[in-house]
Parts: sequence; C-alpha cells; structure tokens
Amino acid sequence: MSSKHRDLLVTNVLAVLAGLAVSGLLLLFLGEDPVTAMGTLFGSLLRDSYTFADIFVKATPLMFTALAFALPFQANLFNIGAQGQFYIGAITAAGVSLSLQGRLPGVLVLVIAAVLTILFGGLWGGLVGWLKAKFNANEFLVSMMSNYVALAIMNYLLRTFLMETKGEYPQTDPLDKAVWLPTILPGTRLHAGFVLAVLACVGIWVLLYKTPLGFRIRAVGQGKDAAELAGINYRTLYVLAFFVSGALAAFGGFTEVNGAQHMLVQGFNPDVGAAGIGIAILANGNPIGIIFAAILFGALKVGGTIMGQLSGIPSSITELMLGTVMVFVILAYFVREKLEDRREKARLKKAVSA
Amino acid sequence: MIELLARTITMGTPLLYGSLSEVYAERSGVMNTAIEGIFLIGAWAGFVVAYQTGNNLAFGLLAASGAGIVMAALYGWICIYLKQHQIVTGVAINILALGFCSFFQRVIFGVPVTPLIVEPLQPIAIPVLSEIPVIGPILFDQNILTYLLFVLVPVANFVLFKTSLGLAIRSIGENPEAGDVAGVRVDRLRFLTILFAGVMCGIGGAFYSIGYLGMFTITIIGGRGWIAFAICFLGNWKPLGVLAGTLIFGLAEAVAIYMQSSGTSLFPNELFIALPYILTIVLTVARRSFNVPAQLGVPYRKEG
Repeated sequence: MSSKHRDLLVTNVLAVLAGLAVSGLLLLFLGEDPVTAMGTLFGSLLRDSYTFADIFVKATPLMFTALAFALPFQANLFNIGAQGQFYIGAITAAGVSLSLQGRLPGVLVLVIAAVLTILFGGLWGGLVGWLKAKFNANEFLVSMMSNYVALAIMNYLLRTFLMETKGEYPQTDPLDKAVWLPTILPGTRLHAGFVLAVLACVGIWVLLYKTPLGFRIRAVGQGKDAAELAGINYRTLYVLAFFVSGALAAFGGFTEVNGAQHMLVQGFNPDVGAAGIGIAILANGNPIGIIFAAILFGALKVGGTIMGQLSGIPSSITELMLGTVMVFVILAYFVREKLEDRREKARLKKAVSA
Repeated sequence: MIELLARTITMGTPLLYGSLSEVYAERSGVMNTAIEGIFLIGAWAGFVVAYQTGNNLAFGLLAASGAGIVMAALYGWICIYLKQHQIVTGVAINILALGFCSFFQRVIFGVPVTPLIVEPLQPIAIPVLSEIPVIGPILFDQNILTYLLFVLVPVANFVLFKTSLGLAIRSIGENPEAGDVAGVRVDRLRFLTILFAGVMCGIGGAFYSIGYLGMFTITIIGGRGWIAFAICFLGNWKPLGVLAGTLIFGLAEAVAIYMQSSGTSLFPNELFIALPYILTIVLTVARRSFNVPAQLGVPYRKEG
C-alpha cells in the first residue's frame, strides 16, 4: 500500500470516528449516554439477518446517487441534481410498471422499466450537460434547480395520473409481485438492485480508469483547454457525462421503487441526493470506495432508525451524523495535503543533502 | 395588482439579504455555497429564540445573525484558511445545518400536539409616505427588515465601488497577489466578507420564519438560499443588479402565491411552485455577458 493510500484510509477512518463522536456528544443534550446510544445503534444491526440485510438495501440507492456525483466530478463538473434525477427514475419506473403489469410478463416489464428509466433519467440529466456545453450555463445552479422542478413534477403526478385508485393519499397503488426485483436473500428485503449497484460501481471504475472515454473525462477534469488542444471535444463529454450521471441516479430510483418500496410515495428518500454527495466525497470520488462508503451510510441509517424506536432519540440524529462526518472528512483532505507536503519536503531535503 | 407588487417587495426581501452578501463574498473571491444552510439555521435559530422568549422578535433576529455567523465562520475557516474546495464544503455545511436543525427542533420541542407559532413581524405603515397612491402601499407598508434594505442597498453599492474597503474587496477577487503586495490581508478580508454573509443570510432566513410565516418547518427555505446565490450571478455581481434580480424573483413568488390562493384549475399548482426554479434555469442559460471575478472559488496560496 502506498503512503498516499494509507493516508487516505487512516485519515478517513479517523474522520468518520470523529464525526460520530461529536454527534454522540450532542446526545448529552438529550440526557442520553452517548456510549450506550452508540452501542444500541451498532448492536442493533446484528440482532437478526433481516436488519443486517437492510443495511445493504439502504446502501443501494446511495451507491447510484454517489456515482452520479462522482462521475461528472472527474470532469470537474458538479451534478447536484441527483435527487431530482432519482425522482425522475422513480416516476418512470412506477409509471411503466403500473401501466404494463399484468399485460406483459414480469421480467419483460422490468427490462422495459429499466431501459426507459435510463433513457428518461439520462435525458433529464443530459439536459444540464447540454445547457453547459451549448450556453456555458452554470451546471451547479441548473442541476440544483432541476431538483425542485423534478419534485414538483412528482408531486403533480402523484396527485393526478399516478395517484392510488382509492384517491386518498399522494402515492401510487402497490406494484404487482411479478414486477418486483427478485429478493436475493430469503427472509430479508435484500433485492437484486444491490448487485446491480455494486456492478455499476465496478463498471464506472472500469469506464473511468480503463477506457479511452474515461481517460478523456479525466483529462477534461484536469483542464478543459489543454484537453481541447489534445483533440478532445469537451462539449460532447459534458453532455455525455451528465447523461450517464442522470441515468445512474434515475436507475437508483428504479431499484428503490421496484426493489424496496414496491410503490411510489410522495417525498420518499428525501436525502438520497445529498447523502450521495457525502459518500462520493468520503470515497474521494473513487467508485470502488463508494461501495464501502455507501454501506457505512446504510448502516448509520438503519441503526439510527432502530435507535429512534428503542430510545427517545430522534432518528434525525442520522442526518446530524452525516453532516458532522462530512465536515470531518473534508478536514481529512486538509490533513492529507499537509502530510503529503511534509513528505515532499523530506524528499527534497534528502535529495539536497545526498 | 397593488397587492401583488407589495408582495413582490416582501418576497424579494430575504432574497436580497442573501444575494447582496453573496455579491460581497464573491467579489472577494469566495463563493458562499453554505448559503442555503445559513438561511436554514437563521430561520431555525430566529424561530426558537423568538418562541422561547415570549415572541421577542428582536432577540430572534439577534440569534439568527449569531447562528449565521457561527455557520459562516466554520465554512470560512475550512475554505479560506484550510483552502478546501468551496462547493464540496458548502454541500457538507448545508447537510450539517439540515441535520442540526431537524435534530434540535425535536430535542427542544419534541413532537408538538399543536403547531408552534409566533406572531411574525408586522408591517409598519410609514406616515404620509404610505398614503401616496400606488407607491405608498407597495413600498411603505412593509416590515422593518424591508425598510432596512432601503438603506443597505445604496450603502452596499457605495462601499463596494467608492471606498477603499470596496476597492480592496474587489482587488482580492481579481488579483490577490497584487492586493497582498499592496498590504491587504487577503484571507482575513475574505473571512470578514463571509462573516458578513453569515449575518445577512441568517437574517434572510429568519425573515421566512419570524418575519413572514410565524412558524418553522425543516423545508421552510426550500432552495431559496440557492435562488439568492443565483441572483448574484444574474445581477452581474453588482448591488443594483441583484436588486433588479430580486424584484423579478419576488414577482415570480408573488404570482405563485397568488395563483395558488386564487385556485384556478387552468394550470396545476405545482407549476407555480416550480416557477422560481424554472426561471433560475432560464435566466442562467440566457445570461451571456458575465463579469465574474477572476479568482472566484480559488483559494489564495502564498508562494514560498
């Protein structure tokens, strides 16, 4: 392991621990003992296989939204729109499943839903990249605003075309069992979407580091003008990166609807986009690192919810943890820079004295 | 019509607090990407303190500025002194603010049976001026935070373009090395503009909770911090430019509220809710000639 990798691992582990410790200390305000509370949080994860498997259920959409941030980030682009892209995917998946179920075989419906999710999510995300390429629009702002537009679209549809037949709540009818993603561990909620998410992480890693396209994306990230001199059309890459990014986040919506929720409920998973960015940052933008970071966040989410049920601690403690952990992870970036600096200086000193 | 325009001014007020301070921060070279989180914590702190002190709105505004400064200081420390990435840090701070507010809202109030409300700031009709037809009810029957802006906008414009402080702020956004050589302490001045943004955005956020709605929900800001952020771009980094920008967005919000309450079924409500966000996208795309500070978003690292 190179010293750089060791730094990354050590500083990030310390950052996570520090973040948990600080949010644990805030429990003192509730008159709760932080050590007991943290014990409950992590202990509860192991109480049965259903709970344990739920960690991976929660990690699944997070991997997709984290990838949706990490991929354009390599091209120095900011996609803050994963939340909205996720919703677009969820709407598409629910709409397709509900209208085709019973008419076509379940597997076929799933394939059609997956393809259309990728298409619509990709177009929704790609629009941001196109506006950036064509009009030099600030992609950070445009993608940020697209979240709110997607949310409005979802709320509208849940009140009209997609609303349940009872017409009581802003949610869809439940999906037929035939169009559920298959469960991969009997007796739990763990579904095939998790496998697809891990495959997506590996796939994006291969794309970024082992293909000419990935090389071009990273070259644009290093400097678009230099990349252009080298014959790379960065405008096309902007659109492409955002298309793939939107498709990934949307696919997370598909696995969540067809795999875990089996229906579409207003305002579900409201923090999946922000948490995805946190995971991508924790993983230093590395798709393989995202797998592990997403599982960690999944564990925090599951444990936090159970802790909320068992004790009087509000489950919003998980959001607080997420925030504090992220701040410490950014501080870890600073520490790594310093460590690298110091090593560089030591190397120079050695070279001079030799 | 007059009511619509009066509401435009009201709804534009918090956005102007945010975007005015964003102009200062960005002119000095730092994007305040923690703006959404600072708005939120301002709204929350303002509400909590006003509620706990028996509807003392002055204490609420003080608390909102204080909470805004603390959040801004954390952001500024990481971005300016530790030189970390501004957008990434901003995202982190915004999540932190969201978690902090929702957690402590529960800690302090539990799950309330009846909605928690405070009596918000009341409009103060200015004698004589508010009697003027049309202009009077639009401009001179607003609350104190709006009146404060009547003074703040010209002062902000004057300071930025006609004083040595303004020159220093603008110079470190364009060429920090030159400013440094001329004796400006780059990081310290940038940090001060961020603290200023903390106060302004804290008050901007509190406008929603205790200046207008009289309540707090975790979605109360709902991206309006980002709209203020966008207005800074659209207003070309000028105080008078962002004034024009906030009027456009204030109008969009006023129309949205009007259409929702008038209950026409011609268009869905959601369209009007989404209107300000769509407008931001359209204007971001349409705005071509930018006057962006050269060193915006780039931390200043001294050589050697």
